[in-house]
Amino acid sequence: MKFRNRSNLTKIQLDMTPMIDVVFQLIIFFMCTLKVSEPEGDFEISMPLGAPSASAVSDAELPPFKVRLQAGADGRLASLTFNGTDLGSGESAFAELNAEVLRAVNALGAIGKEQQEKQEVEIDPDFNLNYRYIINAIGACSGRMRNGVTVRYISKIKFAPIRQQSP
Amino acid sequence: MKFKPANVTPPELDMTPMIDVVFQLITFFMLINKFEQAEADERVVLPKDQLAAPPAVHRQHSFLLNFGYLRDQKGVIIDPKPYFFFGDERAELASVRARLRQESQYYKTTGTDLAEITVEIRADADIPTGLVQELIQMCQEEGIAFQRFALKATQKATEY
Repeated sequence: MKFRNRSNLTKIQLDMTPMIDVVFQLIIFFMCTLKVSEPEGDFEISMPLGAPSASAVSDAELPPFKVRLQAGADGRLASLTFNGTDLGSGESAFAELNAEVLRAVNALGAIGKEQQEKQEVEIDPDFNLNYRYIINAIGACSGRMRNGVTVRYISKIKFAPIRQQSP
Repeated sequence: MKFKPANVTPPELDMTPMIDVVFQLITFFMLINKFEQAEADERVVLPKDQLAAPPAVHRQHSFLLNFGYLRDQKGVIIDPKPYFFFGDERAELASVRARLRQESQYYKTTGTDLAEITVEIRADADIPTGLVQELIQMCQEEGIAFQRFALKATQKATEY
């Protein structure tokens, strides 16, 4: 019987160079394709077919909450109203809107939770109003953040028919 | 006098720690890379809101429309006319109808219910709202008939 002489076995040397090459190329690829951007989210809006008309079919029993946004000549917010109540025009107007929507939603609670879920908000902006205010209004109607947790008020948000561009 | 022996073996470098670190770097870059936002156009400056959260369930069918202004490197608007950006191409609102029709036709051909498709609108914060409304209206026209819309925004940390 033959035995191998274990004493003079040479160690197998792995060539790491190609692997390191590939790995560094991968790092360079990921570093180059990296985009430093803010996290994006979105708001879903419910615009069933035919919704541009004011008489659009809706399963909400009560009329929608109406949020009217008027624009100044430069596209900035000139006035914000909720169901006819003027809330001003500054940054605080959206905090006011948020509080008003909460009040209205709580009042709906007396009718029933179902109605709260069905309730819609109709956003009625001027044509030339900067879009940022629409997002602020939708955000204020949707709910609020409390200690990092989202509290939802209303999820059904739609646009009113388009207002004609002021000359 | 002492002499070193002639058959000196070369010192062996231990590559293990370096490979560990390098793989950790790869993992890090892979995790923070957002390939989903590859379609997002950097020229569009999104409005900000605290509630703009990514959808809880990933949308199966959606397509993105980037609607914004041409801006210089500092972010200043250089052309007052808003455009839709499709990669290197750009189109005005009136000419986007044909693309929407094409998109709708594609989904119809593949047998996808149009009610399941979300049109994600990435509109610039300075765009007149009426144009976004016109876009939504265009998406709902006969022959296009998209029904679901999502308005994109970036998350703002401040609370009311």
